[in-house]
Formats: sequence, C-alpha cells, structure tokens
Amino acid sequence: MPPLARTASPPFGFQQNKAESNIVTIDVGGQLFQTTKQTLSLGGPDSLFARVSEVPSSAQLSAPFIDRDPDLFSIFLSLLRTGNLPSKAKDLDLQDLIFESQFYGVEPLLVNSLSNPSQFEAFNLEKSLILPLNGRDSPSAIATTPLGSVHVAHGSKITSFDWSLRKKSTILTRFNAVDSLLAISPSVAAAGATDFSGLQILDLDNGFIKETLNWENVTRSSSTVQAIGSSPQFLFASFESGRRNSNCIKVYDIHTLESVAEIGHYEIYGAELDSAIPATKLNWVSASNLLMASGSHSGPSGVSGNIKFWDIRSGNVVWELKEKVDCFSDVTVSDNLSTIFKVGVNSGEVFYADFRNLGAENPWVCLGDRRKMISGKKEGIGCKIECHGSQVFCSKGGNIELWSEVPMSCVKNNDDGLEERVFRKNLMGKVKDLGGSRITNLAFGGNKMAVTRQGQQNVEVWQSSIRGF
Amino acid sequence: MTPIPAGSYFELDACRRDFITTERVFPSTKTNRSLPVLSLSQASSSEASLLPATEQLQFFSPPLMDDEYSQNVLHPHHHQPHDRIKLNVGGKLFETTVATIRSGGPDSLLEALSNRPTHDQDPVFIDRDPEIFSVLLSLLRSNRLPSTASRFTKQELADEAVYYGIESQLKAAMSPPPFTGIDASIVTTIRPASDGFPSAFTAGEDGSIWLAHGGQISSYDWNLLHAGSIRTHLEVITSIRRVYPEIAAVGSETAAGLHFYDFSSGRNIGSIHWTDPSDPRIYKARVNAIADSSSSVFASFDCPHNENSILVIDKSTLQIQSEFGRQRGSSAKNLVPGKLTWLPETGLLFGSSVNCGAFGYSGYIRLWDSRSGNVVWEANEPGSGRSSRFGDSFADVDVDEEDSTMFKVCSKSGDLAMADLRKLGDDPWVYLQDKNPSMMSNESRGGGNSVIHCYRKQVFVGREGGLEVWSTVPDRKMCTEIENGVSEGLYRKNFVDKVEDSERGVIEKIDGGGDRLFVSRQDVEGIEVWECSNSSGAVSVL
Repeated sequence: MPPLARTASPPFGFQQNKAESNIVTIDVGGQLFQTTKQTLSLGGPDSLFARVSEVPSSAQLSAPFIDRDPDLFSIFLSLLRTGNLPSKAKDLDLQDLIFESQFYGVEPLLVNSLSNPSQFEAFNLEKSLILPLNGRDSPSAIATTPLGSVHVAHGSKITSFDWSLRKKSTILTRFNAVDSLLAISPSVAAAGATDFSGLQILDLDNGFIKETLNWENVTRSSSTVQAIGSSPQFLFASFESGRRNSNCIKVYDIHTLESVAEIGHYEIYGAELDSAIPATKLNWVSASNLLMASGSHSGPSGVSGNIKFWDIRSGNVVWELKEKVDCFSDVTVSDNLSTIFKVGVNSGEVFYADFRNLGAENPWVCLGDRRKMISGKKEGIGCKIECHGSQVFCSKGGNIELWSEVPMSCVKNNDDGLEERVFRKNLMGKVKDLGGSRITNLAFGGNKMAVTRQGQQNVEVWQSSIRGF
Repeated sequence: MTPIPAGSYFELDACRRDFITTERVFPSTKTNRSLPVLSLSQASSSEASLLPATEQLQFFSPPLMDDEYSQNVLHPHHHQPHDRIKLNVGGKLFETTVATIRSGGPDSLLEALSNRPTHDQDPVFIDRDPEIFSVLLSLLRSNRLPSTASRFTKQELADEAVYYGIESQLKAAMSPPPFTGIDASIVTTIRPASDGFPSAFTAGEDGSIWLAHGGQISSYDWNLLHAGSIRTHLEVITSIRRVYPEIAAVGSETAAGLHFYDFSSGRNIGSIHWTDPSDPRIYKARVNAIADSSSSVFASFDCPHNENSILVIDKSTLQIQSEFGRQRGSSAKNLVPGKLTWLPETGLLFGSSVNCGAFGYSGYIRLWDSRSGNVVWEANEPGSGRSSRFGDSFADVDVDEEDSTMFKVCSKSGDLAMADLRKLGDDPWVYLQDKNPSMMSNESRGGGNSVIHCYRKQVFVGREGGLEVWSTVPDRKMCTEIENGVSEGLYRKNFVDKVEDSERGVIEKIDGGGDRLFVSRQDVEGIEVWECSNSSGAVSVL
C-alpha cells in the first residue's frame, strides 16, 4: 500500500521549528520530549498535556518541567501519538499506568485503549482470566458497565471489579441472596431479591444503601423484585407482592430515581394463570422504544409463559407472545438484528422471531432440530441466552454457543413472505475450555464477556487479545 | 541520538525570513494506519530578496507530485545522495544521508522529506516515538533489523513502518530466510479461539494464511497476526482458495455449492451450483477441490450419485464460463478429482483422485487443456500392467509448477516417484531411491496415510505423523544428466521433524506460502508453522 497515496486523510507529524511553531518541548524528570500541540490536545481539555501545550513558548525560556517518571510519560505520549499502547507498557503493572494516567488526567484514554467496547471481537474471545471470589458462596447475579467494570453478587455480598479487573472491593448487603443486579454506574448498582422486599440502590464504593424503592401494592404486603432492567433514561423493576397475588412493572427515572410510571399492573382473581406470571426478565429495545418483559411459569401441564412489549408512555402492550408449546427457558432481544431469540425449555434449541413477523400465529423459527419441540424432556432448563452487538450467546450446560447471522447474497423467501435468515453457531473456546459446570450468568462489558458457573466461587473472563497487554 | 537542548536552535529560526514550513495537519483520527497528508506553505524561496513574497502555495499530498512545476518551483535544489539530512523525531536528533532515506522507496514519507531544498538546514520535526524510528533508520541503513527491534512487538514495528511508508523494507527484513526443508523448525502453532480443528487452509505468497475451521474462516497476516474471522453458512469447509486478496472461494463435502465470501465485509457475495442435467433427481453437487488461474476459478463438483464435473467460473463476474470433464462416477476411474492444480506455464489443469477401498488404493491423474476441456494425458492406477510397479498404486500425488515435475507416493511400498511433465508417456515414472542410511533403519514402510506437497523445488511427504523432505543436491555434473532425462540419484531424503513432532498426530495437509510451511494434523487443534532460521539457537548449559 503506498502510504502517501493521494487520499484525503490526516495525521502526520512533521514540522519545522519556528518561534511561532507548535512544537512543544517538555522536560519530564530530566528527560526532554518534543511533540506538537495537536498531539497534546488529544489528551482532552482537562488533562495536564493540554495545559502544558497552552503555555506560550515565547513566555518562557526553558521547557516546562514535570516531576514524574519519564518512562511512564513516554508511554502516554506514544498513546497520544498512535492511539495504541506501546509494547513496553506490558512490562509495567497496569496499576502503575492507571495511577499515572490519573495524575496526567488521561485515564479515559487508557480505558479506551484497553477496554473499548469496539474491541469486542466475538469470534476471537478466549478464556483469559479467572477472578476469584472469597468466601463459600457461588455467584448468583452479575452486572457489567459499558466500559467493563464487573459487579458480582455472591450470597449477601457484592464484589465490584474495576474496568481493568485489577482492583476489587466487596460490600455487604441486607439480602440473603441477590437475585437481580444491574449496574447504573461503575459505583452504583440496583439490587433486588425474590425473598426480600424492595429494590435497593447501593453505593458500591462506601457500601451504604442510597435508596430503597418499594411498590405500594393493594394488599399492603411486602414487594419482592423479580427483575431489573434499564434504558438510557429509565430504570425498570418488576415487582410481585409478598402474597404473590399481584405484580407490576415500575418505571423510575434512572438519574433522580423518581417514580415515573407503573405499567402492567395485574391483580390475580380466580385461576387466570397468565396474569399471575410476573416478568422475570426486562430488556429495553431502543430501536422501537419498547420494553420487553418476559416471564414463565412451570405447572403440572408444562411450562407456559408470555413475552410482552410495553410502550412506556401509554402503558399499553404493543405485542404479546403467548408461549404454550416449547416455552422459552430464557429469551433475549437484539436491536442490531431486530430479532428476539429464545431457548426452548423442552427442545433446548435456539429459536428466533423477526420483529416484522411478531404478528404471525407462530413467529418462531427453530434454528435446530424442530422435532425436539414436542419432547417432554426439558432439555433447555437452565440455558441462558444473551445478545451483545450482532451476536447471540447461548449457554447450554457448561458450554457457550455463539450464534451469528451470515449475510447471504441470494435470499430465499419462506412461507411468511420474509426472507429466510441464516444463523450459524460455533462452540466457543478451545478444547481445553469446553465443558465445566453449568453456566449461571453471562454478561458483557467493554471488550470482555464475564461468565459465572454453578458451584464455582469465581468469575471467568473471556477476552480477545489486546494490543499492549 | 541526543536530546536537543530546548531553545538552542529555536531562536535561530526566529530571525530567518525565508522558510518552508512543512506543517503537521491536525490529526482527526488517531490510527497510524491512515495515510499522511502534507501541507506545505511557502512564503519565499529566494534568499537574495529580503521582501517576503505574499504568495502562498497550499496544496495537499505533495510528496507524490511528479509534475515539473512542483519539482522546479518547490524543490529548486535537489539533494545529492551523499548530502546529509537532519531529522528531529519526538525530541531526538538523527542525522543521516539522503541516500539512506531514499532507500525507503518512492512512496515513503522519508523520500518526501529528502526533497526539501538544500539551503534549509533545520531538522524536520516528526512527532513519533524516537526509539522505534531508530530501529527503522537502522533498517534503512543496513537492510536488517537491529537487535533493539526485539523490544517492540511485530505489530508495533509494522504499524510504524506503515506510517513511514517503508513496509516493504520491514517485510523483507522480518521474513524468515528462504525456506528449505533440510533446516526448518517449528516456530509457532496458530490456534483460533474456537473450533480450533483446521478443516482446510490456503497459504498466501507473503506467508499469510487463511484458515477454515468448522464454518469459520480466520485470516492471519504476513506477521501471523490474527487479522479477523468470519462465519460462513457452511458447517464444515473442506476446500478453500483465495481467489482475490479479500475474497475466498469455499466448498464443503457435506453441503452443496461453491461459495464466495468477501472477507472485509463478512458477506456471501455469490454461490455457484451445479446439478446433473441428465438425472431426474435434482441433487445439487458438492465441491471437492478448487483451483484458480488469473482469470478463472476451477472447481470439481460431485453429485450424491457420483456424477461429477469440473466447472470453470469467470473470476470477474463469478458466473459459470464452461464445464468439462463430466463423468459418471461409477468406478474409481471416474470419481471426482479431490485435488486440482492450475499449471500457468502450459495452461493445463492438473487433477487427481484417490480412492482407498478394500483392495487397496486406486485412482487417476489427469491433465486437461483448460480451453478445450480435452484430456491431454492421463494415468489410471492400478494400470494395465505396463507399469513397472504394477499393483503399487499411488496414495497421493502433487505437481511442482516451477519445475514441471510431478511426484507421487506409492501406497504399498511407500516409494516416491517423479515424472517430467514435458515428457509424459505410458510410464513416465522414475522411482527415487532412498540413500540416506539413517532413514533405512526407520522402517515405516507403506504409503497409506501419506500426503505429498511440492514447494520451492522440494517435495514434502507426510507419512503418518512424520514429515520428510526430498531435495536436490545442486551439482554441475547432475545438470548434464537432467538433459538426458531425470536422474533418480538427484534427490536426497531427510526428516524435517523430530520423533517427538511425529507423535502429535497424523499429518493431514501440508501447504507452503512465503517462507513458511504450514502443517495440519488430524484431530489436533491449530496449524503448525515451520520456518528456517539463521540464528544458531545455542543453548547455554552452564
């Protein structure tokens, strides 16, 4: 590739020395560095780099002096110049780099180069780290932030790992066990349990309860939390009354935590089973501004459930899918693919339903052996399914399947008039990583996937190899 | 390489009137893969005149300017090759000659710098890491990488070389020495993150590799760095061919059709299907082997009822151009070819089929004229009895395009035989004798489970887990013998591997690319990479 082809494109660092030039000389711990104002300004307006570059060169005779380690400075200078960490950063502990980046005010740059969600390569994920949890409790719930912090609830404790996964802190909660956990920010999480009243907003740095949100139900009994979800604006919580005779979804403002609305309030009269099922999973569908709430119930006649799409503003159900045959054991939705995915509880196979086809009698398309749908074996019990980006991750026992769509040039139309979509799966991991105990949680944040397993007091982290580290 | 005292030559500049500033354009992206653009502003080019010219010339990407105007006006005084030039990289001063800098080639950034006028003595400032630059400058000076290069990763060196536009120099310096089987060792094993059992792979000219594992294709660049993975709709890819730098043709023995995938977008961009027109059951055929020439792709299609044919697909339109070699598939003599090779010199397509049954191996070797589709030469084994080795059918065969020679390995005796493609007859085979005494004791007779691959005038044979190489001894006396016909004494056989290596598993496929040999084994994750090295690898035992 000719590097100087006639294409309009930017960075180029060469420049002649002039009094009015934008070359900046900096003395760091006795070593002189020269760079340009433009490079320094990439550190952001609040960084020390930007402040150094603003010193007019005519105002001073000697170069500005920074009393820090020049080796560490050269790493950040390389990061500014190329956008990547140089390999010599590998010899240093990441903690040193994080500490130094806080001094220079460029921690966001470091986070970006090491834990950027755009570096998430689904096909290249490898089991790379094990985060041990102290004590004897296995993780019950897990939550991640977009930049890759991981919060794990085990027993009555919540352990938080920072974005670099090098530091952790543990707090104690009032719950016996946390059943739903959602990260609002790297230091704030919402937690709830099916046997404890109220949704608690926890400050993970200091370990205190910021707020407890309750649902005032008719029976004036306690209100347990069945699921927590969020959108950029709202926090959703699915409550059930302590007597298990009513349920609803409360909508809160995610910043102020004020109650905004109450949707899907059901009181149970008689034996109407469907309304007795509280939502146990809440997914926000940002493309259509809808909340997907799903819940299932296992009875003597098998598992039945429903998936409802709520319009928050009007409080109405836009679509509803009733699950009678081969109900989902877990369900998720992908914005990128405009598709819902489920694992059938009987068949254990993955199904998809195109958004455009939700009105059909049976919108589900089976991606495996269709005949297993009517088996009563319940092979899908305990399977988890989650979407991240354009990929679908489905756990079956101790293994993870990665489903991805293959864009085809020629498309066939199926019975519904929609084109047949091609999804293919891969078993994740090398041979030595396969198997293991059953996967209980899957979560995604930054460029990594966090996995917890039954009976294992740790969190597995899957990452693609990153530059520098 | 000394730090420049601040201000020492800054003040000097202030009083100068004539200057050419080469200003850095504000970087809008931080990737160093993006291409640099220069903006030169010239205030005055005359030293005699004290009046600054008002005219300002601003233009983009001047280093590639070849028109006379820019050459004469902007660069009035060209550097002579022995002129010295100073560069300030990230605060460290470098001094080198114009000749060194120009060795980066006409497209490099440094070449652009060397075109600055001679009277301008100030060092040019480049805002990059000085340590990597010193490595790359040594590379330009001596055409080899200094030992300090080991402080940087291959990726860093490659990225920086792209920035300075001297990637080809780096490639030349970093690639291993020419590949010879007699002195190669395993350097690494490429292991994809999931589904790590390679089902097919194809090596590129520059030592890169496209690896099909299950339904995925992973690409590794000339540095063997993972460049990306895509998922195809096939469950198992059993044949792959890189028909364009970014496009792979893939086929599967379990699913119908030849499919083209664009690696950059991960999309299926076309599919070719073939059905037997004479058969009432419309079964789509599966692809067993793929080859390509500069203009066409050849693929052997095989129906479930064994009717098979070779399709010629136009590379530019990805449409079927013609079809030849259709046969019933009713016996071993007309089964689908499992190996296809294009011979560019003669315009012939080489194909072979091997079938292993209860009565041993059988198969055929065929050469087609790709234009007419006629069979130019063919050999069926077990043959009619005219062969000197009747009953010892071949287990695998490969063709050396450079030498126009064909090599086969016999299934019973395990012997290697060669045939000159220019002198094919009823029995063209010359059986090579094994004269290496150390190989004699190692009795692994029989050629079952053998694979053969010709690369760089050497023949690599995988027998079970062992890897051996047959190479010629360069000798002037032998050359005269070649004139009279191939001599069986020309080739020497050696093991490439050690005993431990052979215990890893049965060798499934061998392919050469660049200065590397790639080997895959049955039921073993990953692909072995074999390279030559000039470093002794001496081990201290103190």
